Order: sequence, then C-alpha cells, then structure tokens
Amino acid sequence: MSRVKLSEYKAKQLILGDVYKGIQLRSREKMVVSKGKWVAKVDQGVKKRFKQGLVSVNAPAKEMLAAIKEWEKKGFSQFVLEPYLEHEQSEEQYFSLERIRGGIRMLHTREGGVDIEAHPEKVQTYVAQSGKDVTEIAGKSGLPETFLRIMFNAFDKYYFAFIEINPLIVRGDDVHLLDAALLVDDAGEFFVRGAWTGDDVIKAKAKHEAETRVEALAATTPASLKLSVINPNGAIFFLLSGGGGSIVIADGAQLEGAGNLLGNYGEYSGGPTREETYLYAKEIIALMLASKAKKKALVIAGGVANFTDVKKTFAGIIDALSEEASALRKAKIKVFVRRGGPNEAAGLSLMREFLEKESLLGSIHGSDTIITKAVSEAITYTRV
Amino acid sequence: MTILGKIRRGETGILVMGNHPQIVQSILDFDYLSGKDSPSVVGIIAGTRKAQKFFFGRSELLIPCFKDMSRIPGDIGTQVRWMLNVQSGRRALESTSAFFSVFPDALGGHLFAENIPEAHAAELIRHFGKEKIIAGPSGVGIVVSRQLKLGAIGGTDIAQLTASHLETEGSVAVVSTSGGMTNELIRAVALAGKRVSFSISIGGDRFPVTSLGDVLSLAEADDATKAIVYFGELGGSDEYEIVQLIKQGKLKKPLICYIAGVIDEAFDEHMQFGHAKALVARNDESARAKREALLRVGAVAPETFADFLNALKEFPLPAIRDTVTDMSEFSNRRPSILSTREVVDLESVPVFVKKGKLIKQKENAFASAATEALLGREISETTAAFIENVFELLIDHGGHVSGAVNTMITARAGKDMVSSLAAGLLTIGPRFGGAVNDAARAWLEGAKAEKSAGDFVETKTRAGNLLAGIGHRKYRVGIPDPRVAALSEFMTLLKKHPHYDFARAVEKITTGKNGQLILNVDGVMAALLLDILSEKEGYSHNELNELVEAEFFNALFIIPRSVGFIAHFIEQKKNDEGLFRLPDELLFEQKKGGGKKGKKEA
Repeated sequence: MSRVKLSEYKAKQLILGDVYKGIQLRSREKMVVSKGKWVAKVDQGVKKRFKQGLVSVNAPAKEMLAAIKEWEKKGFSQFVLEPYLEHEQSEEQYFSLERIRGGIRMLHTREGGVDIEAHPEKVQTYVAQSGKDVTEIAGKSGLPETFLRIMFNAFDKYYFAFIEINPLIVRGDDVHLLDAALLVDDAGEFFVRGAWTGDDVIKAKAKHEAETRVEALAATTPASLKLSVINPNGAIFFLLSGGGGSIVIADGAQLEGAGNLLGNYGEYSGGPTREETYLYAKEIIALMLASKAKKKALVIAGGVANFTDVKKTFAGIIDALSEEASALRKAKIKVFVRRGGPNEAAGLSLMREFLEKESLLGSIHGSDTIITKAVSEAITYTRV
Repeated sequence: MTILGKIRRGETGILVMGNHPQIVQSILDFDYLSGKDSPSVVGIIAGTRKAQKFFFGRSELLIPCFKDMSRIPGDIGTQVRWMLNVQSGRRALESTSAFFSVFPDALGGHLFAENIPEAHAAELIRHFGKEKIIAGPSGVGIVVSRQLKLGAIGGTDIAQLTASHLETEGSVAVVSTSGGMTNELIRAVALAGKRVSFSISIGGDRFPVTSLGDVLSLAEADDATKAIVYFGELGGSDEYEIVQLIKQGKLKKPLICYIAGVIDEAFDEHMQFGHAKALVARNDESARAKREALLRVGAVAPETFADFLNALKEFPLPAIRDTVTDMSEFSNRRPSILSTREVVDLESVPVFVKKGKLIKQKENAFASAATEALLGREISETTAAFIENVFELLIDHGGHVSGAVNTMITARAGKDMVSSLAAGLLTIGPRFGGAVNDAARAWLEGAKAEKSAGDFVETKTRAGNLLAGIGHRKYRVGIPDPRVAALSEFMTLLKKHPHYDFARAVEKITTGKNGQLILNVDGVMAALLLDILSEKEGYSHNELNELVEAEFFNALFIIPRSVGFIAHFIEQKKNDEGLFRLPDELLFEQKKGGGKKGKKEA
C-alpha cells in the first residue's frame, strides 16, 4: 500500500547475500574493523548524503570513527561501513528499477560520470514485463545479464518498489554497487517471510509526541488514523474523517484565508471502533487545550461516509470530550460539526444533545449541508 | 455491447468472497429499492456456515454460503457475473485469479482490501485489466443506478441510499479515487436535483486495476451518461491523463471537477495528506497547477467547493422522475433469531373419506410424506417404496436389543411414555442403530475417491476404526440377514449403483477375514439410498454430502424404531411387573479395593 525505506545495509544484503562485506553499526555498539580502506556512511535513508557531509570516503579506521562521532552529535544513530573501491568518477553509472503499472522500469546511464539531473536526456529507459525481457535489456544497456538477473529477481522476491544504485561501477562482468537506496512495498512484508520486517523500516525523524502516539494507535487497527501537528498554538483544531473529505474541509479554511489558524491536520476513516475513535479524539483535544491561541474552536467534520458508522464514532468522540468538558468550557471552546453517513440522524442527535448539555455547541449539520459549513462557521467564531 | 450495457440488461449476479454482512445488506436494500424481485447477491464464499440471513425489503431470506467456489451448484454459478472481494489483501491475488478461472465470463469485480502488494496489483492488471472492470484495490466499488451496487459505494444505510436516489437512472457519472468523496459527490448530485448514471470508486492505491482513464472512456462510451463529475487531489498526475484524453478528443462529454489540496500552500513544506498519493512531489502536482491545466482544456473546475456544487446544480440535464419509497417499510426492521422452512403444507388437509366411501390413496403415502418433509422436495415412486420397505423392516428387532431393553426398564420404573421412549432413543448411537449415517459417509467417500475397496478397508482399520455398516452379531456368511437380501433387490431398479457396488466390494474383503463381517442392514440401507437419491432424485455428490452432514440417514432408523419402542412400553404398562432389578447372579461386581486402602489424595 505504501512504499517505505529500508537501510542501505539491508538493501545490499538482500541483493548480494553473503557476498556483501558491509558492516552495520548502530550508536553505542562496539566496532571492530579490520585494516584497509573503508567508506563510512550515515544509513538512515537520508538524501544527498555526500553534499551534507554524511559520508567519509577512503579513510583509515581512526578517522572514520571520529566522523561517526560527529554524525552522532547531529542525531544520527545508524551507519554502514564498506570496503573502499578505488575508481574514477568517469566510471560512475546511474541505475534504478521501479515498479510501474506496466512492469518494472529500469533507468540507466550507459556513460559514466553523468549528472542525471543536469542531463536527463542521457538516461535510457527500459520496461521489463517478464523475465524474458531481461536478456534483451542486457543486450541494449550493455549491463551484464547475470547482474540484471540478480537485481530483477531480488526486486520481485523481496517486494521492492524502487531501488536506486548511484553510482554503479561496471568493469566487464564485475559490477559494484557503491551507494544504494531502497523502497519496499510494505504490503509485501507477509510474503517475504522475514527477509525484511517492519523493524528494518527507517522511521521518519522525531515528531510531535501526539503524532507518535497516533501512529502507534494506527498500527493496531485496520482503520486509518492520521495526525499532523501544524501549529501547536493554532486556533482551529480538526477532528476530520475521510482522506479526501478532510482536504476539502482544510481547503475551505485556506480559501477563506484562515490556513494560518489551523492547529492540526488529520483524519480518521475505514470504520474505527468507538474505543479507537475515543483514543484518537483525546489526542486532538489535548493538543487544543495546550494551544495558547485566545479563541479556539474544534471542527468535527467529514463527508458522507460509506460504511463508517456516525453514531459509533461520535460516541467515541463524546467519550473523549466529556472527560475534558469543563476545561473546554473554561477555554470558551465551541464545537462545530458537519457529518453524514450510516446512522447519521442518530449520531448527530447524540452529539447535539451532548454539546448542548455541556454548553459547547457551535453548530451541527448533516449531509444536506455543504461539507465546508462547519469549518467556515468555526473561522467566523475564532475571528470575532 | 459495453459492460455497462450488459449490466443494464441484467447481468448483475454477485458472488461475495469473504464476510461483510453490512455491505451485503446494503446491496440487497439497493436491489429492493430498485424494484428487483430477487437479490443480486447469489452466493457468499464463507467458511463456517451454509447460509446467511438478510432482509430483502421487510421480509427475510437466506443467501447460500459455500466453503469454496467448487461447491457452488450450477444453477447459482450460471448467474455469477461479478466478484465482490472483501477478503484480506494477502489473499486478493490468489482469490481473484481463482474467481476468474471458475467464472471466465464474469464481467468484473471490486477489491475492498487496502494492503494488496503493488506486485499483485500489477499482475491483476496484466491478466484482467483489459477485459474486466475491477474497482480497487481499496475504494468502495461500483454502482450503476437501479442495476448494480458492488460494494459499500453510495452508503450502507438504507436512508443514505434513498437520499442519493440510486434507484433512479440518471445521467451524471461520478468518478474519484477517494472512497469518501465518491459518496459525497453521489449525494451532491442528488442534492443538485440530478441523478447518477454510474459511479466507480477507483481506489487510492498506486496501481488501480481499472484506471481513471479506463473509467472515463467507459463514461464517454455510455449513452446514459451526459456529464462527468470528478474529484481529484493534490499529488500524482492523474489529472494530466484527463487533460490528454480531452486534447486527443477521446473525452468530449462535459466534465465538472474539484481538485482538493490548496491547503498545502499554507505550509512551508509539502505535506502528506490522508491518501498515500496525496503528496506534492513535483510542482505540477499541486492542486492549483492541476486545476489550471484542466481549465485550459475546457473543463469546469471551480476553486471553491461551493462554486463546484453550484456548477453542478446549474448544469442543464434532462428532467428526472423518482420512484417514491415508503420508508416506514424499513423502520423497525428486526432480524428474526431462528429460521426454518415450511415442512408441510398446512393449508392442504388429506381427505380419506368422502360421501361415505374410502378414497383410494397414493401408494406408500406415509413414507412418501415423511421423506418429502425431511428432504423438502417431492420424491419418486421408487424412493417412496424403498423408504416404506425400510420403515416396515425396522419397526422392531425384538426385545433383546439395547434400545428396547432401556425402554422397558424405564417403563418398569414407573415412568411415562415420553420418558421411556426417550430412554430408548438415547441409546441409539454408533453401536446400536446409529451407524446408518456413518455407513453413508463411508460409502460416499469410498465410491467418490475411486480407491480400491481393499485400500479403503486397510486405511480405516489400520487407524483402529470399526467399519460402519459392516458386521452382525447373529448373521454371518452362510446365514444371510433376510432384511439385507430383501432390500438388495432395489438394486435391480437402478441403472447404476456405485455406492452399493462399493459396499459389496468392501464386504468381500472383510468377510475374507471374518465370516461375521457381512454387509449389515445399516450398510445396505445407506448404500442403496445414496444410489436411489442420486439416480431417481438427481442428488449431486455435494448434496448427498450435505445430507450426511445433517445426519439424515439415521432418521431411517429412528422413525420406525420409535414405533417399536412405544410398543414395548405399552406392553410393560399392560403387564406391570414392578421395578426391574438385575438379579445378583447376572451382574459381575468387582469388589472395592480388596482390603487395601488407597492413598489419600493431597
């Protein structure tokens, strides 16, 4: 379903197997490196490592360790060490494979030392639909067929989505993969039987704590729960549902010139249970209460759901709201609602009753009202 | 003819793979609202049950469930045109490929699962992308107004279906990758006073089997569709595909769109929104850029959602006429908690005497009526005669047999008829009278597997099992059981009798070992009834198997023998010899402990 990054170390291990001589190193691990020349790299899916100084080339062990210490200070914690290969820049070819609708697309520069961003016309494109095509591509690209077979086989077997080798050094039948970047299809995890697992996936950098907690919650349910904190001191907080509907509602704010008032973006969909909705809503309510904005509003809105039960999910939201009802009242927060779907009438009346009882009601609308109504009223409220 | 044309001609039979009763119920509600007389869901592949109950309007009906597709009978199989696959993403490729190999003429399907690997989606595209319409992976499916609802699309609550007027044929095609917005737009079309012609939710995955371009080509070719409403988002390049289609003259129908995602402009960096694709990777993937590209080729693409709704409202389209549904029909629908069928026609009362004269009845009338009640279908003369023969033979087999003994002992204890009969009946089991069904299971399995009788006996006995239907206490080779001989004559009325032949072949092996191991009355009844039901009543192997699973064959013993037990009960009451006690010499009693004391348990 989505493409996720694995480490360079894992990528090469999957492709090359035992032939691969790299060493993975994590912070606070002891390192024993045999003599010789090495390359050390930060291995956390960072783009343009060389330009950022996150690669140490052809250095003796001591120098390399010093470089790693520096990287650790910058917050990096995972590295890869590989034997250094002496080569000319003019030998460096570009190579990548990506799954596309019609098969696997290969990009390759036959000439070495080409900056592909500056010279896209030098990039040759091939598409393989089956194993037979690999022989033909080998002929046309000049790459050894054995190497291509290894790459295409690993690509299929391990559910790769995208692999980039840049640079690639080709000397006759000898091929060396200097740097590699790999995206795998996370839906393939079950089928690779442990060759890689969710633990090998490189996580994005540290986030807001609420985002981390929602991510952990989302991992335990087939429903979708997403949260991005935009501005901790925003005035408008979103409890939205539906991947598409949530953008339309956020657009509503932007088109009224209120994009800067938003505290968060996020959405729940795919039929979360009452308990899951409760836990998700709690995070957003806590964020909103912590915001220093003077006048705040909560927007509970979404499109007309296909199968997410409005009554059930609203019951979960009410569970979360009622825990903080007095704090919300004290902060003069009002709640604006627009929602449709299964059990719409029952869900809306449940919510209306609760918000009226707790004096939190801003407005409440069903599926016969435009989807952007609630956000629009919330903006008016926070601006007055 | 286009696939939409075929759907409108009635090719709408759906096989559901997996369990999602909420969606199935919404499909039946849609069918009912659309005025169909039977549901479009013809079967469900679900492991654990034989049928599942749903509402069709106010009344309930059972949709048959099957463990796998090979068990679907022909009359249901010929109706299957669509697959609704609600199984997990892991099994989607395998189960979809299996579906289309069993139903090669099926028109398409919907894959509800979200976590289908890209490689599997690509394979589905390679095999089925050209000929079939497959909505998904993910999304909410396909709806063709008044004809077909394949998935959650349009809602799962009957109030939603009526609010969106999907029972009325309209002229607006609704297309989106977002499942939620597909439904929002379907509702918006209805609120604008228009009606939907069809809608396909493409699904938010990277490789939808039926692509946006495919769906737009369908809309362009569809006579009923006069305009297309499209919802798109920031990220990806789908909208440039539309621009190309318009430029090439392949899409001429009016297009009203909304491209969401200007909110992205409020942030310093591009943000990842809800759907996987909703991230601007290149500048031309922004909502604004895509909207402007669409405007340039003449599409209607307002900036705000309100203007988009207005454009939809003002778009000139032919007048519509809805059918009015009385919603009170659906309020307070409550599922029953038990279901059965009408066993006998309560309206018809048999007439035996008319004008002072006995009326001549059908032959074997009681056996026939009883069997028809059990099987739920009319039976032929031969079957009725066979059952009659069995009933008569099995009424009693003397007072020595366990069931009769228990009946009599209970009667002597002063108990009533029902208790005494129950005591007798409760004795029926694997060693007494209850082996008919096990024998049927054995012959059915053995005749089907085409194993030699020798191998069959070998496998069964090696596992230490007794062979049901084989062996007798009294009769042996040389002293045949006359009941077995009498029943065996039915064989001559049949063209083929594979189960009987198999049972006899087994007997040949077993009597080779021990003369008492003959085919007994349980065994012969089971074998011949299997052959008669398959030849005279047209039962398939699967249907016979269902009867075995329901323990039908034991009824052949239980029904007549109840009569015998009652006869023994009445006899006891007549004689009334008082409480029965086993005389001491007839009971061997092992003495307790033999003087040694057992250890006390801790």
